[in-house]
Amino acid sequence: MTSVLEDYLNGIADMLYISFEKYGKIVKLAINQEISMDIQLIDDGEEILCNQFYNRIYKRNRTIDQWRWEFAQNNYKSSPIPYARVMDESQVVGTQAFIPIRMIDIDGVFWTAKSEETLVDPDYRGRQLFEKMYNFLFDYARTNQFACIWGFTPAIKAFKRLDFSFPGKVDQIFIPFQNKSISLLLKKEDRSENVNFKNKLKRAVFLIAGLVAQGISMVRLNLNKNSPLTGLAIKRWDKPDEQCGELCKQFIQQWGGTTIYRDAEYMQWRFFDNPYVKCIVKGVYDQDRLLGWVAYNIGDDGMGYLIDLILIRADYTVAPKEIIKQLLIEAAIGCRNMGASGIRGWHANNHPFDKLICEAARDVGYYHIRKGHETVIYFCETGKVRNGYTNFDNWFVTRINTEGVHG
Amino acid sequence: MSDSISYLKQQLINHISLCFNLDGKELLESRLIRFDCLENALNSTERTIFIPTDVPFNEAYDDIYHAEFNQTTLTLWNRLNLSAYDNWRPISDESAPLWYQNSSGTLISAWNLFGNLMHTLTFAEEKSHPQKDSHGRYTAAFGPRLKKNLLEVPVFNDAAAVLVAGCSGLKDGNDPLYEIKDLVKPPYLALSHDCDLLRGNDKWTQAVRAYRTIIPLKKLKFPAMKNLWWIVRNCYAPERYYFDNITGLIELEKSFGYISTFYLINGQGGRFGARSSNDMIKKLVRTVPSDWALGIHYNYNTFLNEKNFIKQYAELSSLTESNLICGRAHYLKFDPFRSFQFLAERGIKIDESSGYTDKIGYRNGIAGAFQPYKSQREITQPIWELPMTIMDAALVKQYGDQAVDRFDQLMNHLSKVGGMMSINFHPDKFFNPEYKELNGIYHKMLITARQYNAKAITGPLLLDYLQPV
Repeated sequence: MTSVLEDYLNGIADMLYISFEKYGKIVKLAINQEISMDIQLIDDGEEILCNQFYNRIYKRNRTIDQWRWEFAQNNYKSSPIPYARVMDESQVVGTQAFIPIRMIDIDGVFWTAKSEETLVDPDYRGRQLFEKMYNFLFDYARTNQFACIWGFTPAIKAFKRLDFSFPGKVDQIFIPFQNKSISLLLKKEDRSENVNFKNKLKRAVFLIAGLVAQGISMVRLNLNKNSPLTGLAIKRWDKPDEQCGELCKQFIQQWGGTTIYRDAEYMQWRFFDNPYVKCIVKGVYDQDRLLGWVAYNIGDDGMGYLIDLILIRADYTVAPKEIIKQLLIEAAIGCRNMGASGIRGWHANNHPFDKLICEAARDVGYYHIRKGHETVIYFCETGKVRNGYTNFDNWFVTRINTEGVHG
Repeated sequence: MSDSISYLKQQLINHISLCFNLDGKELLESRLIRFDCLENALNSTERTIFIPTDVPFNEAYDDIYHAEFNQTTLTLWNRLNLSAYDNWRPISDESAPLWYQNSSGTLISAWNLFGNLMHTLTFAEEKSHPQKDSHGRYTAAFGPRLKKNLLEVPVFNDAAAVLVAGCSGLKDGNDPLYEIKDLVKPPYLALSHDCDLLRGNDKWTQAVRAYRTIIPLKKLKFPAMKNLWWIVRNCYAPERYYFDNITGLIELEKSFGYISTFYLINGQGGRFGARSSNDMIKKLVRTVPSDWALGIHYNYNTFLNEKNFIKQYAELSSLTESNLICGRAHYLKFDPFRSFQFLAERGIKIDESSGYTDKIGYRNGIAGAFQPYKSQREITQPIWELPMTIMDAALVKQYGDQAVDRFDQLMNHLSKVGGMMSINFHPDKFFNPEYKELNGIYHKMLITARQYNAKAITGPLLLDYLQPV
């Protein structure tokens, strides 16, 4: 009986959304007599409550500065922030946000949104709060003509109900420097107190396999180290190079598809102003001309992360793959020297540059692990139809597409 | 006004200006605070804070009490006994007061603030406990504060915060404040690295490993063979976990937006001397970014030795092509009563030698910088001391698995009372399987510091912030 009543009230609420087309309007949703919730885009001052909710559910210590960087300080209009929340009385019980991000394809730069902060209090699940928050954000996407909404998640069930598509998983490229990195990657920590023969054997096999994997990687890494990049130089950045945006355009012209538009402003926000962890970015140069870069760092979990790698073809004599190899080695050794237990990066699809990175990575000792989150994409009907971007193999994706918590 | 009062006021002004959103000079020179004898304080009817300056210091530490303040706990001792004076009552907490107040609203600090601060800032404890270890150093183990668990109490910072809160209340015509959240700046971090070893294959390091291999034999145990592995490993990869860690440290700090100081040692080699070649020092100088600072790690043989010091300083200045103004003594070998003048006369403006080798702690009761006290007339010396609070191995030896938790507690306290934490992490120990227990500790400490919004600062930058000497 309750579910029939809920369906009925949900239907009324859906009608209400139609009558309140503009985001920011409050919709009182009475699911039953006990619950009265309001769902809307975040108001000034509510970010602290939302952040507390996040920290409570995930048992983390995200600071309000970190929240502001992620949702309020990116390079899009500052108000309203596309961050929906559900309040029950004075308590936040659900959040869902967009991080507006510019992408680039052969036709130019366009706006998209990254889906982030998907979180519903476990006590309030099963009440379609996720869908209801998304209704506000879909409105926002339509109003701002976002081409698509995308994200990466281990939990796709809710996204299915909203007509997202699931074009594939992101795989990992990975080098272990210490055995604990393997547990970190697989998210399987052996906490078993049972020291029977089977467990001992399992641990021994795991240990030996880890050591062998490390040994092979180190040999490959060392064999490829110091390969000369004639006429080219690798330099660490203190701030983004102004040539970034132009390089990004050339990258798409040469390698095709679509990717995040990494101009100097975006790089500043994403890498250098990141209050979680700032990336170490090293550019590769032919004299003063920027040809590409690699970005990496160490996450709070002690794992090294290959965040981004991009390169254009030019009149240099070295094969692009050789340069990519050296950039991958820079990242691996840089992370290792910082004390990282391993380094991991993403390999997402068959985009030609992504494939080339994966090949180069294998050559220098990275392993390709088929394990990762599902990609979710929603193509907005109001967004301009882009040239072939509905095919995920046209997307060049790196860890720059992540939230930025690990850099 | 006596020299010691002027001296302490100047140190409070510097500290408050650095660590609070206030002008320390304006505050300390206002009519809100008076440093005076206890008798004058007791007879006053002004709405003023009195800091009694003539209460004898008692080193027994037998009346330690804890007072709640600004969401942290202050540890105080040498409480004033005003029970004989009917018109003075303890306020805030009767059993653990921060102030005594009379009916006119006059306030007296409830503990011997002046005596306690002067005692720690002037190394008075070390005068009364003249023991020295085999290197001629005063260690934490010699002093009474270790036994009373007071080494990790920043008495100066606590007192400054209470004074700021008291003045802020009085300025607005109210009672003293106990919450000063908006007045305290986030803590500062003074990160530094003593670069004792830049390669792991020098003869002294290898000889020590060889010796460690056979030590167990003395107890009829199996030799510690793993030391042989370190010997072999550093034969074919001498910079791995040594020089390579310098770039690791820089990039790690950069990823937090932090900077640090590298202290370089050159000159005479040997068991207690320099173990890196000048070429390695030059290589390090090329590696360290311009925002980071370089300083001199005074060689063991330069201790109060003018000729040796000048030689080391000149050579290092030439190698680094810079004017070195920051320094720390190798093995922390320094004399608090003679070294400051010696160093100041030879170009050092900031010294970080005043720490303990065996424990972590605030040797001078301050998390921050101060000018060493000299004597009558010339009360301060033209050098700043930034006492080293935490050294890598001491922290882990003392707290083991709880090392980062303890650091968190210290940072949390400083975030409430203001201050600057000086940390020394050796590059060769920051990430090295030979010192497994230290792996990842520095990274976790930086994560903790970030949580408190801590800002890193180096010696040269600090000089810009501080009042001219």
